Amino acid sequence: MIELKGVTKIYELGGEKIYALDNVNLDVEQGDFIAIVGPSGSGKSTLANIIGGLDIPDAGQVLVDGKNITEISDEDLSAFRNRKVGFIFQTFNLHPTYTALENVMIPLMLARVSLKDRRKRATLCLRVVGLKDRMNHLPNQLSGGQRQRVCVARALANNPQIIIADEPTGNLDSKKGGEIVELLKSLNKQSGITLIVITHDQSVAKQAGKIISLRDGQIT
Amino acid sequence: MRFFDYIWTALKNFSRQKVRTFLTVMAITVGSLSLILMMSIIVGLRQSIIDAFKSMGAFNLVTVTRDPNATNDNPQLITASNNDPSQEEGRKIDDTTLAAVKKIPNVVDVTPIVSVWAKTIRLEGQDKKMWSNTMAYKPESNVFNLSLLAGRNLNSSDMDKIVVGTQFAQTYGYTGNPQELVGKKAILSYDGGGGSVPDWGPLPQKPPENADKDWWDSQQKKGINIEAEIVGVVDDRTTDNGQSYINIAWARRLMTNVYWKNDDEARKQCEINFQQEQEILKQQAASKQDAEKFDGGNSGCDSQASMKIFKEDNFTKNGYGSIIAKVNDEKNVEATGEAISKMGYGVTTAKNMIDQMNKIFTGISLLLGVIGGISLFVAAIGIINTMVMATFERIREIGVLRACGATRVTIRRIFMYEAAFLGFCGGVLGLIISIALAQIAKLLIKKFGADLGNLPLEHIGNFPWWLVIAVICFTTFVGLISGLYPAVKASRLNPVDAIRYE
Repeated sequence: MIELKGVTKIYELGGEKIYALDNVNLDVEQGDFIAIVGPSGSGKSTLANIIGGLDIPDAGQVLVDGKNITEISDEDLSAFRNRKVGFIFQTFNLHPTYTALENVMIPLMLARVSLKDRRKRATLCLRVVGLKDRMNHLPNQLSGGQRQRVCVARALANNPQIIIADEPTGNLDSKKGGEIVELLKSLNKQSGITLIVITHDQSVAKQAGKIISLRDGQIT
Repeated sequence: MRFFDYIWTALKNFSRQKVRTFLTVMAITVGSLSLILMMSIIVGLRQSIIDAFKSMGAFNLVTVTRDPNATNDNPQLITASNNDPSQEEGRKIDDTTLAAVKKIPNVVDVTPIVSVWAKTIRLEGQDKKMWSNTMAYKPESNVFNLSLLAGRNLNSSDMDKIVVGTQFAQTYGYTGNPQELVGKKAILSYDGGGGSVPDWGPLPQKPPENADKDWWDSQQKKGINIEAEIVGVVDDRTTDNGQSYINIAWARRLMTNVYWKNDDEARKQCEINFQQEQEILKQQAASKQDAEKFDGGNSGCDSQASMKIFKEDNFTKNGYGSIIAKVNDEKNVEATGEAISKMGYGVTTAKNMIDQMNKIFTGISLLLGVIGGISLFVAAIGIINTMVMATFERIREIGVLRACGATRVTIRRIFMYEAAFLGFCGGVLGLIISIALAQIAKLLIKKFGADLGNLPLEHIGNFPWWLVIAVICFTTFVGLISGLYPAVKASRLNPVDAIRYE
């Protein structure tokens, strides 16, 4: 489904070139559960962002269903992220003045879905993550685990093919973190959504079907 | 995103920083308020003045004057006696002209207009004099619609009656009670005219035998006073021209010169008679020597005894000063003016006046608009500040939106719509406040309006629909422009960096 060919990403830091990714080749198949592990600064997030079309490599190709997304317009790339990808972040990044429901509706609003369908779809997503009774709460009225569930619901809104979770359990205790991982796993199993999880947590990585270990921008 | 999604997003974001949003909107409100008030004062003032002229029917009037370029029918009219040579050029305006103008289609009625020669006017029993500024017209004509403060308008049979202006009432302390002027006498004063007097009042003194220069000078110094009964006080506070009005039939009498002069015909006859008598006497003379005595000799014809009263009607001789024609509709004024112009006369319509007035008002409103615009410019800087702050605060949010599939254009629009919405709110708020202020001002004017004198204020605080729309559009546009820079800045953020931003 997604194929990375010779992907290279370079950052300049104080005049010095740093290879965040160095000639990475990777195949992601539909329904995969991939864990990306590695030390800080090894290029995990960069790899995930490039897979999700949020970042563009300096060299190499990212083929989505055979189409190179490194050369398409901002509009098409944004549409790709909107329809095919769901992002989950360590710091949740929920809109503070939007209710849980309104936060989940953001990707639907960007997709120009009608107000009625937005509400319907967002409610369904919140039910999937078990937050139906909390949908009119603001983020600061929710616990950390609940907030991350809202993020999962938001990632699910447009029925994506792939969910990219960057340290989803990093800000949660192990119990709440475990619940989130279970939730993501069930989505992967039941709906066949491709799951890419960046993690430090070995217990999370162990549950993945495939572990990609990065070091200095290269898969080891 | 749909249009209403942008508005919803903007509202949600405003609610995050309520105080800052309020202050930013207030700045625009003050800016738009100053712009609206200044514009509405100008628009209102202009409307008031136009309405005042309209109520007088001034927009339907065409003034016919002599055109100095037109050929004069009667060159003999050019005499040295008249001190105003411009009056002598061009085609004479007389009753024939009057009839011809009246026949032009769409002309309702016409009146001759003459500026009465009287030099000064005063209230009987008062020493203070005013320049007379008295105009004569045909009261029975349906041309003027003089609105009165007291008394009545002139009618066709009024002879020694006058309608005075508000300046007259003001000068003699009758501003508050003009009705008390009615029935009092006004005195119109003329120069002596060198032994000639108006055809009103006593006849001039017959020059004595051998009248010399000193005698004529004394006649000149005597002056003539004409009494006129005040029948009305006209309301000319708008035009403030201080004009008084009399019946043209009376003006004709006042402007007819009555004077003593040797009767040329009688003298000729007298000379002929004298010659004949001399001839007869010559023939009857006994001797040739006797006959020669009858050659020459004083006929005695050129004496005071042969003097006679003469009357010279100036209207017949020189015509009227001008004609004012009333046209049935404002739309026809121009065409009527052209028709009259073709007849060889000068034409003035209120259109020229309105054009002039519009020019002045455009100038003033531009000036005031610039002043109002400066305050809006300051408000625009406030919007830029607010929006730049907002982009900094919302960098992570922008990153998340990008991750969720927002394009650069969408991000730019979110910020621009927000800024435009701030401008829109400021404009609407400014309008509401200024309408409220105008209502208060109206109440105050109603209460204390009399003290404000001649200023026509009834239209101030009326907001024409175009001003309302223009102001809202303008403040919205100012917001949009102010939002441009922050919006572009926000849309260019790298989404990855934005999400990580602390």
